[in-house]
Amino acid sequence: MNQKQKDAVTGFFVYGSSFLTVAILVVILGFIFIKGIPHINLHFLTANYENETTYVNIDANQASKFSDIGLAGEFNEDGQWEITSISSDSAVKGAVDMQGAAWKIKTGDVITKVGSQDLEALKDGTEEEKNAAVTAGFSEAENGQIRLKMTRLGGGIRPMVITTLYMILLSLLVAAPIGILAAIYLNEYAKQGKVVTLIRFAVQNLAGIPSILYGLFGSLFFVQVCHMGYSILAGALTLSILLLPVIISTTEEALKAIPMTYRESSLGLGATKLQTISKVVVPNALPGILVAVILSIGRIVGESAALLLTAGTVASIPGALTGDSAAGATLTIKAYTALKEEGNIGEACAIGVVLMVLVILLNFASKMITRKYLSKQGN
Amino acid sequence: MIKSDTALTNENNNDEVSLGRNYIQEVLEKVMECVFFLCAFLGVVSVLAILAFVFYKGLKPFFGADAYSFFDFLFGTKWAPGQNVYGIFHMITASVAGTVGAIIIGVPVGLFTSVFIAEIAPKSLVNIVVPAIELLAGIPSVLYGVFGVGVIVPAILKITPQVQGQSLLAVVIVLTIMILPTIVNLSVSALKSVPKSYKEGAYGLGATKMQMIFKTVVPAAKSGILSATVLAIGRAIGETMAVMLVAGNPESGMLHSIFDKVRPLTTNIAIEMSYASGRQSEMLFATGVILFIFIMIVNLTLIKLTSGKSEKEKKPVEKKKDSNSKKEVSKA
Repeated sequence: MNQKQKDAVTGFFVYGSSFLTVAILVVILGFIFIKGIPHINLHFLTANYENETTYVNIDANQASKFSDIGLAGEFNEDGQWEITSISSDSAVKGAVDMQGAAWKIKTGDVITKVGSQDLEALKDGTEEEKNAAVTAGFSEAENGQIRLKMTRLGGGIRPMVITTLYMILLSLLVAAPIGILAAIYLNEYAKQGKVVTLIRFAVQNLAGIPSILYGLFGSLFFVQVCHMGYSILAGALTLSILLLPVIISTTEEALKAIPMTYRESSLGLGATKLQTISKVVVPNALPGILVAVILSIGRIVGESAALLLTAGTVASIPGALTGDSAAGATLTIKAYTALKEEGNIGEACAIGVVLMVLVILLNFASKMITRKYLSKQGN
Repeated sequence: MIKSDTALTNENNNDEVSLGRNYIQEVLEKVMECVFFLCAFLGVVSVLAILAFVFYKGLKPFFGADAYSFFDFLFGTKWAPGQNVYGIFHMITASVAGTVGAIIIGVPVGLFTSVFIAEIAPKSLVNIVVPAIELLAGIPSVLYGVFGVGVIVPAILKITPQVQGQSLLAVVIVLTIMILPTIVNLSVSALKSVPKSYKEGAYGLGATKMQMIFKTVVPAAKSGILSATVLAIGRAIGETMAVMLVAGNPESGMLHSIFDKVRPLTTNIAIEMSYASGRQSEMLFATGVILFIFIMIVNLTLIKLTSGKSEKEKKPVEKKKDSNSKKEVSKA
């Protein structure tokens, strides 16, 4: 083989590998978007995950069908009567639940029982039979009150979106100040020595520990030893440790990029070290610190193994920071459980689409900031 | 920091008062330095805490009256918590095999791609490939698993002699994809830092472009590429969620073929942790200890590799810092 042929072969590998890398990305994104987008609609993004069923009492004097109480709708294939519109003077505006609290009925809710008449039992019946059951149900009214069994359909990701937001806020609340202050120490105060070497060594090590080991630690320390249970706080604290290396190293980069002359001028004007840091160094490093925060958000959004062992897999909005009602699945965890436990690849991909849109936006934001920042510095 | 603001603005000309302010300012300086230091030191505390807790709980089952044989644990190939049998040799094998496979495919593909980005591609193509790789790095690992279940596993099902598509092969493919961005990013910066004179020298001696790249630039960037590989090993061996979805995760059984289901160390922990208690839970921590030992070897190798390089680069910066601190001393 002469040199020309050798070059052609290596060239083939170089181009082939690059093409493969891009192709992989296209295939992955294509798969997730094609499988996921059909699942995405307003209901998916805003509804709760679980169905929510309530009995409500409604003033229904002399009503014999749904249109008499100001509702329009139709039976769906499960025999449920789905509300498509509510008139402005509808009697359901005054609906109260069994505890007597007002319960706001919305379009999209379904009615499954009128009085004692179970509509779902008639799902294979004719339209006449169903309407007759409705009329019979309304005739059971006592004191002009009729009891309806309502279901608000779930299948949405609202709890996971909110849990993810909580998780981002809580983790950053802990990790961002600590990470930024640590970076300031390492870049502005630290003199070469054993302690600093130890700190750097520790941070480098933290960066290399896989998230499942963070999860293991969190499930022992925060969940059990600190008695937090599977909770959003246990998850957030575990993530804070995991985020430290990202925040410290990115912030340190930003601090390093500030010219030494800035500090020297400030010190020369008689400012103390702390004043120099708080008035000159940190304000100038702010875009870099912002990038650190954005990278951390990306990390939190994508994190799963550590959260699986600390924050649980419950698809509900956490009601407390610790304790029994504090568990909550983030979007990533839900994508996993949707696939692993329910075998629902469409739902997993739909969550994937939401995640990818987030990741792309975060990527874009950090790039824009870096670019603007760099051009300002004249690099 | 807010306090320092008021201290500065309230400063007035009365000498005694300003002396007091200076004193406050000085105390504040010291206190804040302590706060900064404590935050930084929290990194050390975290590492120690993680090590202590995981090792304490993970080594517990091997000591005491009811001790489990460490040898049986390490070299057993049967994991049956119901029968009090805990062997993880097949999991170690699975972790190592998955990682080695991913490195064997991923490093060459990643290296060729980084050569393309750093040396060959025109700017227009770089602007496509580099964002693609950045995006690949940003995809949450669960989604790689979803992709694996939806595309890779069914594809393997078509060629496998076995009844399921979940296999070591699926793990290797998913891990390969996941480590690509790591390898490419680090290798590109290593290749780009090779001095231009090396290339000119190679051209001057009559080398073709490919010869120049693979005989001069790549060898010169060797240490950077090696660090990239070590980092990728760490990523691959510690990856959990994506692997868990495509591995099949059988409790026991040695690996015989690439189409066999496997249960790497990481997924063993993730699968059973939610319901494990007592001895089983301790054994999961013990699995974590073994994983930790692998990771520590990888970490230490990496730190060794990169510190040798960065020391050379850091020297001028350190000098600057020293001069800065000297100035402060003289000022004080």
